[in-house]
Amino acid sequence: MIHSMATLGTVSQSLALGFTVLSIILIAQFLRSGDTRLYVSGRRSAVIAAGLVILSTLVLLRELIQSNFNLEYVAHYTSIATPLLYKISALWAGQAGSLLFWVFIVAGYILIVIYQNRTVNKVMMPWVIMILMAIQFFFLYMTNFITNPFSPVEAGIIISDGNGLNPLLQNVTMAIHPPTLYLGYVGFAIPFTFAMAALITGDTSATWIKLIRRWTLFTWLALGIGILLGAWWAYQELGWGGYWAWDPVENASLMPWLTATAFIHSIIIQEKRDMLRVWNMILIIITFTLSIFGTFLTRSGIMSSVHSFTASSLGPLFLGFVFLILAGSFLLLYKRLPMLRTKNRIESFVSRESGFLFNNVIFIVMCFAVFWGTMFPVLTEAVRGTKITVGAPFFNQVNIPIGLSLLFLTGIGPVLAWRRTSKQVLIKQFSLPVLVSLVALGVFILRGLQGYVMISFVLAVFVTTTIVLEFARGIAARHRRFNESVVLAFWQMLRKNRHRYGGYIVHFGIVLMFVGFTGKAFNREIETAIRTGDKFHLSGYEFELQEIETEERPNHFAWIAHLKVVKLGVGPVTHLFPEKRIYFHRNPDQRKHQPHSELDIHTTLKQDIYSVFSGYDTKTKSASFKIMINPLVSWVWIGSYIFVLGTLIALWPNRRKK
Amino acid sequence: MNNRSKITITVVVVVTLFFIWIISGTQGKEVPFLSIEELVTGEYDQDRFRLGGNVQAGSIQIAEDDLLKVEFILKQGESIIKVHYYKTRPDLFADYCEVIVEGEYRNNEFYADNLMTKCASRYEGDLRDKNSYNLDEI
Repeated sequence: MIHSMATLGTVSQSLALGFTVLSIILIAQFLRSGDTRLYVSGRRSAVIAAGLVILSTLVLLRELIQSNFNLEYVAHYTSIATPLLYKISALWAGQAGSLLFWVFIVAGYILIVIYQNRTVNKVMMPWVIMILMAIQFFFLYMTNFITNPFSPVEAGIIISDGNGLNPLLQNVTMAIHPPTLYLGYVGFAIPFTFAMAALITGDTSATWIKLIRRWTLFTWLALGIGILLGAWWAYQELGWGGYWAWDPVENASLMPWLTATAFIHSIIIQEKRDMLRVWNMILIIITFTLSIFGTFLTRSGIMSSVHSFTASSLGPLFLGFVFLILAGSFLLLYKRLPMLRTKNRIESFVSRESGFLFNNVIFIVMCFAVFWGTMFPVLTEAVRGTKITVGAPFFNQVNIPIGLSLLFLTGIGPVLAWRRTSKQVLIKQFSLPVLVSLVALGVFILRGLQGYVMISFVLAVFVTTTIVLEFARGIAARHRRFNESVVLAFWQMLRKNRHRYGGYIVHFGIVLMFVGFTGKAFNREIETAIRTGDKFHLSGYEFELQEIETEERPNHFAWIAHLKVVKLGVGPVTHLFPEKRIYFHRNPDQRKHQPHSELDIHTTLKQDIYSVFSGYDTKTKSASFKIMINPLVSWVWIGSYIFVLGTLIALWPNRRKK
Repeated sequence: MNNRSKITITVVVVVTLFFIWIISGTQGKEVPFLSIEELVTGEYDQDRFRLGGNVQAGSIQIAEDDLLKVEFILKQGESIIKVHYYKTRPDLFADYCEVIVEGEYRNNEFYADNLMTKCASRYEGDLRDKNSYNLDEI
């Protein structure tokens, strides 16, 4: 039975590939001949292919849950003791499984797109399905022929228990971080496909943009959440006290998010003013390419990243795919250039359009900065023969002014009028925010702030004031016109104009995140080795190691430190209980023992006191700790929640008009 | 000058300035990523480098008086180098593990101030190592 299930997985995966090819051929024939029966069959084949992909994924999931260690993949990433949640998340823990999971998401999206458009968009849909099938073909080819999650273990070996999932990954956040990222990465295939279909069919108006706006927003949100969860996990689990390390793989997810952010802004201009048609095409092509490129970075072994998979034969394939997408789509774009010209031009320097334009330019600049730093080792190796890396100092130095420029535009752009903004309006809109910012500037200077930190805080005040004013104006207008109460007016305003006010809420979330990022300038840390009863100091706090308790739990052994934290001159603040754990401690093979530091954080809105129990010597009873005081980190997470909330408001569907 | 050219010129200027800023930003922050052999045999103007390799089994020595202080042998192919590190070590740091170190090269030894281990999920290398499975005799 077990064998036959795994066989079902292999077979359905192979059949899926077959139906994908069949679908492409049938639709291509339909496009040549116009025989609708061919299209109907092609579309059905696509549905069957997608169904088979989903089936094979479910089979792999079942094998993981049932611990069928006859499959190499199952033996590698799970053990009998692995909790159910992590047996499920093992689906995307390894290379082969994660690629199958990737196709699974493509397949799910394909089914939704086909269903949504079953009676509409008849001209574009054949192309949309065909291109999506081509993308699915690429990934299915890999899971079938290069890295097959259903490969059995070598003949003659029976495995009684598998390796198990690494304890670092046994964390709920880590279980959902990859799938959300994938939802984002893969999701850009949909707007990309519609853009290409629009180019091919010659419908270069804003039709395709209306079709993909919500898809894009959803995908952008998913990628955003994926990135934030990764950051949160790194901060809560890894114990180096930060949430963003500018690692190549982190950067790989940030780059498409940046270009997608530019895209969701600039499509507004195309919808409202029919401008930037070519630019929008370029943005979506780059975004999709970057999301495939991100996968390439993790799989090729080209980057020495903490995340990267071992070098594999997938690298050249991915690179080939990236070049194919770039060459194909830009060639198509070039051929269709005459159709993409529009009459409208930006009329004034001080207009919403120009605000958006600069926002776009700066997002692209930031993406380039990240790209430059990430690819620097590869570029220097090609040019100078030596791999030269640039680490976090480069990214921080370069991106701070770029990020602050974006923050500035967040305050200005949305308040400017379309076409042109008169001087009177400018003065009316900005006099209060400028005044408030000047007051804040004075206060910050008095408190001794300077440089980027001061600029960042002043801009945060400026942008927040403009957003609050926008809400206040909207509410006041409704109050005057409909005589609604403030709460009702607020609610109605949100409901009637979800995009706009959802967008403002997102902006406010971003402002709070910037406040959190800025806090990093004040981080303090100490690393020390002490014994029970010893004390040490950091930033006006005293830490006392009161005792080290031991505890044996089902899947690990733990030393639990009791650290008493006292604010000097004030009194006790809290107790911290960071742990040093040994997973697989019952395994007689010492090499299988896996140490893990479970950190403890005392969080307030003002700062985090972050403690890591980094090592313990049982002979000398010496324990080493890393303690950090990280100001304002909470605001990064609070900002994240608000960012998600705002996007959900913007995404929420309007009630169908009858 | 009409509005269009004003905007175009501003965009070009802004983009150019940022690009110069980005490209010049690497100066002073460049760290060559060398092989151990290149580091030992070559001559370099600077003293900060990045190395990759595996921790030689049995080479990890933690100082008796200070748990944070560690020495180990980094192995890359046939080349080896002694590495000193005096900070909190990642949990995954152990014999055989794949690490990247960044720091200074002095007197034929490496003084790292940054030690990174490969991400936990990626033990693809174990795949062919039968010892990593609990094998039952057939």
